[in-house]
Amino acid sequence: MGTLDYIWMGILSVFQGPELFSIFGLSISVTLIMIAIGFLLGIAVGATPGLAGPIAMAISLPILISIFGFSPDALLPVMGFLIGVMKGATIGGAVPAILFNTPGTPDAYLTTLDGYPMTQKGNARRALRVAHFSSVSGDTFSDIVLIVCAPFLAILVEGYLDLPEKAALLILSLAFIAAAVGGAPAKGLISTGLGLLAAYVGTGEDFYPRLSLGSPALSEGLPLAAVILGVLIVGAVAHELTTYWRERGRQDRQDDPEGRDNQGLSLRLIGRIWPYICRSALVGTVIGALPGIGSTLAATIGYTLGRARHEKRKRKGDPSFGEGAPEGVAATEAANSSVSGANLIPVLSLGIPGNAAAVFLILAAESIGGFTPGPSVFKFSTEQVNPELVIAFGLFTCMFIANFLNWTIGGLIMRAMGIMTRVPKQMLLPVVLLLTLTAIYVQETAMVAVWITLAFGVVGYLMRVYGISPLPFVIAFILGGRLEDTARQAFASTGSDPWFLFNNPIAAVFMALSVLTIIVALRLDRRSQRSAKVSS
Amino acid sequence: MKSMIKAAATAVAIAASASAATAADWTPPGPIKLLVAFRSGGGADTHARLIAEELEARHGWKFIPEEVAGKGGLNMAAALKDAPADGTVIGLGVTEFFGYSMAATPKAGMKPADYTPIITTAGFQMGVVATSGRGWTTIDDAFAAAKAGETLSFGVMSPRLADLAYLLGKANGVDFNIVSLRGGKAVFDAINAGDVDMGFVAGLQTRAVAAGDMVNLASAITKPLNQSPDAPLLLERGLEFDAEGEFLFVAPAGLPEEARAAMADAIEAVITDPNTKAGQMIAKAFGGAVAIKGDALAERVQAEFDTSETLLDAASE
Amino acid sequence: MESPLSRDQKLGVFFMLFAFLLIFLWIPLDTDTGFIEKVRRQISIGDALAPTVAAAFLMVGGLGLLLFRAPETGVEEPLDQLAMRFAGLLFAVYFLCFLVMWGVGPLVVWVANGITGDALEYRLLRDTAPWKYLGFATGGTLAVMSSISMLEGRFSWRALFTGLVAVVAMIAIYDLPFDDLLLPPNGDM
Repeated sequence: MGTLDYIWMGILSVFQGPELFSIFGLSISVTLIMIAIGFLLGIAVGATPGLAGPIAMAISLPILISIFGFSPDALLPVMGFLIGVMKGATIGGAVPAILFNTPGTPDAYLTTLDGYPMTQKGNARRALRVAHFSSVSGDTFSDIVLIVCAPFLAILVEGYLDLPEKAALLILSLAFIAAAVGGAPAKGLISTGLGLLAAYVGTGEDFYPRLSLGSPALSEGLPLAAVILGVLIVGAVAHELTTYWRERGRQDRQDDPEGRDNQGLSLRLIGRIWPYICRSALVGTVIGALPGIGSTLAATIGYTLGRARHEKRKRKGDPSFGEGAPEGVAATEAANSSVSGANLIPVLSLGIPGNAAAVFLILAAESIGGFTPGPSVFKFSTEQVNPELVIAFGLFTCMFIANFLNWTIGGLIMRAMGIMTRVPKQMLLPVVLLLTLTAIYVQETAMVAVWITLAFGVVGYLMRVYGISPLPFVIAFILGGRLEDTARQAFASTGSDPWFLFNNPIAAVFMALSVLTIIVALRLDRRSQRSAKVSS
Repeated sequence: MKSMIKAAATAVAIAASASAATAADWTPPGPIKLLVAFRSGGGADTHARLIAEELEARHGWKFIPEEVAGKGGLNMAAALKDAPADGTVIGLGVTEFFGYSMAATPKAGMKPADYTPIITTAGFQMGVVATSGRGWTTIDDAFAAAKAGETLSFGVMSPRLADLAYLLGKANGVDFNIVSLRGGKAVFDAINAGDVDMGFVAGLQTRAVAAGDMVNLASAITKPLNQSPDAPLLLERGLEFDAEGEFLFVAPAGLPEEARAAMADAIEAVITDPNTKAGQMIAKAFGGAVAIKGDALAERVQAEFDTSETLLDAASE
Repeated sequence: MESPLSRDQKLGVFFMLFAFLLIFLWIPLDTDTGFIEKVRRQISIGDALAPTVAAAFLMVGGLGLLLFRAPETGVEEPLDQLAMRFAGLLFAVYFLCFLVMWGVGPLVVWVANGITGDALEYRLLRDTAPWKYLGFATGGTLAVMSSISMLEGRFSWRALFTGLVAVVAMIAIYDLPFDDLLLPPNGDM
């Protein structure tokens, strides 16, 4: 079994998986169909204001698991579907931003800056085409980087890192996420601490379930799906609904922006926006590869870099950034789309999720079982087949199939999804809330899970009110158990050495970097606040 | 409530008479909740679900599997303890839960008598495993390496196995660094990644051993391993306890005899049938079905509980 | 009177207090092993260490908010009390509606028994139509209808209709195609 054999088996596992039906003797595997359905759903969800990819992933997961069961055969169809949703939602998010000046997702906000002016000038279709082209280009580039980098990184980790270094690496990731996500590092630390605390309720090595307050419900530990969906989905929906309620009647949305134009995407225009796409794709990929700092930052940097270049290069008469420049749409969309592929680098090679979409891919793998994202996946064993490695290459194949769909039919569907922005939020979101709670119940089959979801929904809502990003919470919650286990094992395997995190060079460097990250972030934060105060 | 009393009354009447005919007539009064004490996706969970699937197909019973993993099976045992004993709630665990786990936690107040064991499904081919790259062929080579000054780490997946590893080292004048990992797959991966030097693995190693990537250094059960009959028994290396154990289905105490017999017979028919998916999987992953039921099983579970108390004493010295 | 601390600073104090209680009350009282414990002549990490690390994150974060988030100079937007109250109401509605879901089935069975004289038990009927839909349909419709009405500030038949359609759609997604899925509250009756 060589590397190429594994790649080939991965590709075959997608195309030759369980057959759904066949056309003219050509069998169509269920995975292919699932990717396509996920992709369509993703575009629709991304185009609906108030919904986003993670919501769709969260709600479909229990349904998918019950369709496909808990066997390794279920992994590719389910995760293929989620990847489809992830990619679809990325391009879908640009639709309401361009057509109605209402960003469907936070990182699409910058798309409104030039996309909506283009619409006002009657160039809506062209703006959508630019957005689609840039988004797909960035995404594809990012996927290629992922496929090249993830295996090497994993092999490096498995080859050079023992238990103490692995524990130190987890600490570094958490420190980085705490410091980098959201505005304030102090709030990031709080979010991380709360996530760790939630992970430690009812778990542990001892037979007594710690921190369970004597409650039998807590003594099994908090269910992964209930906590994550509570904080990420229920909290977000509640926040969205309260905002809607406060701003009722204040809405002024323009009608029917479609119309006068039908300009396509000429080669000349592609040539003009191409440099912006390339820069932004690079920025997005690099940022995406770091866990925790998401597409919003990538979009901001991509947009800022693009604007600087545009100011120097633009010809007279061309619109500036903010006045409806196609380059602005391109710079933003390429940057935020290229985050999604690279974000899976830490997931697949280290098992560390970097954003909400990655969180749901991990949740899927955890729920189904048989595939543990992390360095052990990339063991190129030669004598016997390593099934997890085949799955990993199968996932890569899924990503490219989704990209292919995106290149071919994505633009068409995206332009047809303008209608989704007319779905009334106050009708849709309560249904989404019921659907989320039902999905949790169906998966956990216990009312306690619903109560826990609602409770963490309150936590997620309050975190949003107080400006604490929920992402470090979720990532810390997922990694908390592993951090403790790895530290325990490292401690035991070094013969109970209390300095196991510091007395070998690699671990010591990781620990030093962790401390440095927090200190630098806190200082930077303080400085930026001071300057903000001076300027105000 | 009335139907429960009725069921209990019939149970008493039937316990006196022969149960074969009535066992065949028994059907569960409602859907059966199956509490699986293992993470989804692993061998334990998969075989439980396959058995449930086959029982649904054969008898029209309906199963609702639910994962209740963690705490050495005590989470599942606690959830099962007060459930209705009419055959509508059963659990899948291993004998160790009702032996070691319960013996180790007197505070939890659980004992084997709180449950009705139904039937076992498969045993463990528990071996001590290392990668072949170490150059060891038996456990004696590992002892020799340790005595030559090397610090060896030993991966285990439960506190009972940690005790066994400790006593094994003690009997042979070796100090292992015992590393607790979550589940057999984690031990297997840790051995592969070089995070631990050796460890207890119960079946997952089969393919790797066949391929020559790994070696069974010793058998931790009472007989030689099917795959490596030449590997010595740990019982011959000064260890007084074995790592025998079986997967088993259990119900709360007070399960009517007809229900117990009906379920045991139905499950036995599935796991010993090589034409079922469950039967094939058990043969492949666990080296064949082991179907102990009735009084023999009840005694087996109680005996493990009693041995575990001795083991706990021995390991806490 | 103006409070000397900004909102972020108060938040910092709150989490420092919480971390303090965690470290000195909750963790010691609710874990059985300390930071380290000795088993089998080997020292290993106990169950109290990891939660203490979590508490340390909270403590440092709280301290960071208190020290580094200087008192704001009036630019702080006030917390929207009204919106928070509305959110509380929203959560309460869903909580109550799931309670209704849980209670309706057994209640109807109890009433039916009283009329027909049967001795049915909901637990054993929870996978039999139409019993199994009673709770979910009632509670689900109620939840969607009430929250839409709250959002729009009035009751409308459209809200009721949306609730009914949503519930029917969810039954169609989860229950009809899958034999082994149970809608709330049928999994743990």
